[in-house]
Amino acid sequence: MDMLSRVADSLYWMSRYLERAEHIARVLEVYLSEQLEEYTGDDNNRWRTVVESIGLQAPDDLVEEDVGHWMAFDLSNQSSIVACIMSARDNARQVREQISSEMWEHLNRLFHRVRAASTTEDWSADQHEFLTEVKEGAHLFQGITDSTMNHGEGWHFIQLGRFMERAVSVSELIKVHFREHIPADDEEHHEGGDLLKSCTAFEAYCKVYTADFKPLRISEFLLLNREFPHSICFAIDQVEVSLKALPQSADRRVGDRALRLVGKLKAMLSFSQIDEIMAIGLPVFLAEIDRQCNQIHIALHQIYIEYPVETAIQF
Amino acid sequence: MFFSIRHVTRFQYSAPVSESNMEVRMRPRSDGNQRCIRFDLQVNPRSKPNSYKDHNANTVHYFDVPAQHAKLTLVASSVTEVDEPEVLPAALPMSAWDEVDEVNEGAEHWEMQNPSLFAKPTPLLLALAKELNVDRREDPLTILRQLNGDLFKAIEYSQKATRVDSPIDDAIRSRKGVCQDYSHVMIALVRNLGIPCRYVSGYLYPKTKLEERSALGATHAWLEAYLHNHGWIGFDPTNNELCGVRHIRTAVGTDYADVPPTRGVFKGRASSQLSVAVRIHPTDSPTDEEDDFISVAAATNDIQEVEIPTWDALQQQQQQQ
Amino acid sequence: MAFPAPFQNYALGDAYDEMFAAPAAPREQFQALYDRLQELPLAELRRRKHTADQAFLNQGITFTLSGRDEGMERIIPHDLLPRIITGAEWAVIETGLTQRIQALNEFLRDIYTDGHILNDKVVPRDIIFSCKHFRREMRGVQVPKDIYVTVVGTDLIRTPAGEFVVLEDNLRVPSGVSYMLTSRQVMKRAFPELFQTCDVRPIDHYGQALLATLREQAPDNRSDPTVVLLSPGVYNSAYFEHSYLARQMGVQLVEGRDLVVHDNIVHMRTTGGLRRVDVIYRRIDDDFIDPLSFRPDSILGVPGLFNAYRTGNVTLANAIGSGVADDKALYAYVPQIIRYYTGRDPILNQVETFLCSKPKQLQHVMENIGSLVVKAVGESGGYGMLIGPHSSKAEREDFLARIQAEPRNYIAQPTISISTAPCFIGGSGVEPRHVDLRPYILHGEKTTIVPGGLTRVALRKGSLVVNSSQGGGSKDTWVLN
Repeated sequence: MDMLSRVADSLYWMSRYLERAEHIARVLEVYLSEQLEEYTGDDNNRWRTVVESIGLQAPDDLVEEDVGHWMAFDLSNQSSIVACIMSARDNARQVREQISSEMWEHLNRLFHRVRAASTTEDWSADQHEFLTEVKEGAHLFQGITDSTMNHGEGWHFIQLGRFMERAVSVSELIKVHFREHIPADDEEHHEGGDLLKSCTAFEAYCKVYTADFKPLRISEFLLLNREFPHSICFAIDQVEVSLKALPQSADRRVGDRALRLVGKLKAMLSFSQIDEIMAIGLPVFLAEIDRQCNQIHIALHQIYIEYPVETAIQF
Repeated sequence: MFFSIRHVTRFQYSAPVSESNMEVRMRPRSDGNQRCIRFDLQVNPRSKPNSYKDHNANTVHYFDVPAQHAKLTLVASSVTEVDEPEVLPAALPMSAWDEVDEVNEGAEHWEMQNPSLFAKPTPLLLALAKELNVDRREDPLTILRQLNGDLFKAIEYSQKATRVDSPIDDAIRSRKGVCQDYSHVMIALVRNLGIPCRYVSGYLYPKTKLEERSALGATHAWLEAYLHNHGWIGFDPTNNELCGVRHIRTAVGTDYADVPPTRGVFKGRASSQLSVAVRIHPTDSPTDEEDDFISVAAATNDIQEVEIPTWDALQQQQQQQ
Repeated sequence: MAFPAPFQNYALGDAYDEMFAAPAAPREQFQALYDRLQELPLAELRRRKHTADQAFLNQGITFTLSGRDEGMERIIPHDLLPRIITGAEWAVIETGLTQRIQALNEFLRDIYTDGHILNDKVVPRDIIFSCKHFRREMRGVQVPKDIYVTVVGTDLIRTPAGEFVVLEDNLRVPSGVSYMLTSRQVMKRAFPELFQTCDVRPIDHYGQALLATLREQAPDNRSDPTVVLLSPGVYNSAYFEHSYLARQMGVQLVEGRDLVVHDNIVHMRTTGGLRRVDVIYRRIDDDFIDPLSFRPDSILGVPGLFNAYRTGNVTLANAIGSGVADDKALYAYVPQIIRYYTGRDPILNQVETFLCSKPKQLQHVMENIGSLVVKAVGESGGYGMLIGPHSSKAEREDFLARIQAEPRNYIAQPTISISTAPCFIGGSGVEPRHVDLRPYILHGEKTTIVPGGLTRVALRKGSLVVNSSQGGGSKDTWVLN
């Protein structure tokens, strides 16, 4: 049976929002533990950088003490963890009969837990536990999704949402990180450890490069590694796999567009060497990734969701 | 007498919209003393209108424009032959009220004898009925004639006082309004007497260009009351006239809500501005070419700002003046 | 003779009891259940009850609460014991309902086209025209195969004399059929042994029968018609049922925003492009179905849908305007309607009804309000109702004032002590509770009624109100071969 465009859209966004919640939880956790160790004590604006690295602008009246709460719970912040999980659940609810009941129940439970946590007055005591719960909740949801839902069209839209979000958010994280820490080729780069942790990449990186934190290698790993699930290259590979699995659009002119765009981005990631990237300039390269991801997102929307009626009516 | 009518309606949207769906009631009716000989509706962006007859036997054209558009233009052209209506007696016997009650009893015209959205008996209307002595002291036809003149005097013609969706209380309170208000008030008063009464939307070919109220470059509205043996009799309280050969009827209904010339919805977050131009050209034969139209005037009105929920639908209506 | 356990608290009253003709003397069809219940230890009954509840929860057979507990879901209270109807009793119900629905369908066709019954003054015009659900726009519209009502749920009650009579027809968007189907699934597991001995007629084919009925009403020349179920969306309290039925039929569950009309053809937006839709089983009220033709503020509907319908390119089930035939004031005329179209007396009787819009009958209502049930014609779900014998003086006065202000809006009926059936109460024993019965009728070229229906039960002791919004529950209904 054909899938309704609305259903595909909800699955895609459900997945994007949950991925975003998990990403923010990771970044926030790294920041909070860094605060405990206080080795960035001289940098008074560190927290602003953290906010920026998840693609947000801190409101003017936000102060350092509140940044954790704002990122985790503030509903006026549309990208707070709670707001993201709420949006994920709202989307899931719209398509409840399309996902497995295990998926729904798990997401619903996660939502009720984080909402309850958000109403406690003093969360600082339990913050680690809370962030762990969010991360684990998201991981579990992925596992449940993969093992209880048909790997059909709907599942591929979930994959698309997850990996599109991942590519964009990792790119943003790298961009802001290396803007603050101008990479010098050979120097030992301590802060790089935090960047890796923010992408659950610490251990995976060490297995490949040992605990030798060089900006070049870190960038190479997060951008170009084909096996690490949080690298941009991996994410785009997955986007391509899912896109190829979707039904062909009735309108061939636009139908191929998304695949063409993904192919282009994949080629750019596959055939680039890290020294070439550094030669062009990392920010330029990241901006290009960002631009292309955005084009892919728009193309997906135009082909499958909000296609203009007049082009689709052809008898 | 033949009338060639060209009715141009333009919608200008503040932002591009899509999936417009619209209903149009512009084809003159073929009943009573008139027959529509030719009718054509052009839509831009191009769309092929379909049509049907609604439950009041009005011809409704409808169409949809799926593609994005910032403007929508309708041009309705028609040729209609109109005869002089039946000459009415000076008065009826008082026993005509018995016939009125008999018609009422049978509920043949139930909708036209009961309150409707815009024409309903509010406390202000009942007070007005008292003030104008709307009762059964004379025969039905005489009462209707008197009421037609009394309303003409009681309400001042003013285009600024009311809107397309104003309740009759606004016009009664301010004693100002346009043809739509005159008609709604009179319909409510006439129904209150037990006489079935309906709203008529159409065109009025003016006697002279300056003296007559309304109808200049716009559509007009009046009403018809039902009397046994005479059928539907047209009254135009805006001009204190019984309807004659110059009144061309396009649609009838319980009130304005049944017969707006256009009604539509679209997708998009936008407000719409509506402008209307009507040109009426009398001829002795039905074969005149369209080029002969002389512009009488053009009317622009009503910018509607509507905040729309998720589905971004907007009513598009036009007040009848 | 006294009742044995677990019936020790079973008290027979004025009402007809479905199970017992006299204390400890079960009717034949209940004998097996009676015997079985005496064998089973209480703990085992409780265990089965718990398993059944769990099954409802796990299947997601829930309704959504609004207000404070927004988004929380509850199961509809469900009673463990089946209500059993004999094959002979069912035969009467089946032929009676078939006769009634066919007559009501013919009535709808008539009033929206020729109007013979109005011209012949069998039903007064004002009753029709003043009805909230009468749709003037439907006058003269050609309905596919003249089928106005496809899915009907008619509420029956059993009088103290043991006769099934019609209390109410639901011809717009009757709900509850999903509870009938799921509760059967659950009961098969709760009482497998009993189920077999009793030879219960199956109902599982409802989904197929519904789909077949819908498909045969597709516009002509559509050889493989696409059927969809149109729902207001997840926030509707019956959403579970919409999604359940869509799955049972294997059709798309769509919302208004999934559909688009172009050039009188209805399409749905899918990821593979637009797909033509031929039959819409709609669970949205008339008012909201098309903002172009009906309520312009409707965000649930599909602009242009009525035009496509009028043109005959899409079938809506039930037809627009079918609600006029389940108006509570019109109900009083249904026996005459049946006689008018069939030339026969109604097989199923109905409850005597007084119309407050008729001065003489109003007089009777005013004088006897203490013994009558007064209902607002436009309300359902047990709202806007006064049960005279259970009311306070203030409530009666309030209703009298409301009736006088809007007489057309009220009807009254004698208070009937509706029948009782055994229920497993509080985990401690079996007691009688008042029940009604809503069979679901599928009406197409032929009329199909799956044997049984939804038995609704007033779980509060003594209560006569069975609506789920008023503390009612449901139980499985067994029709025996």
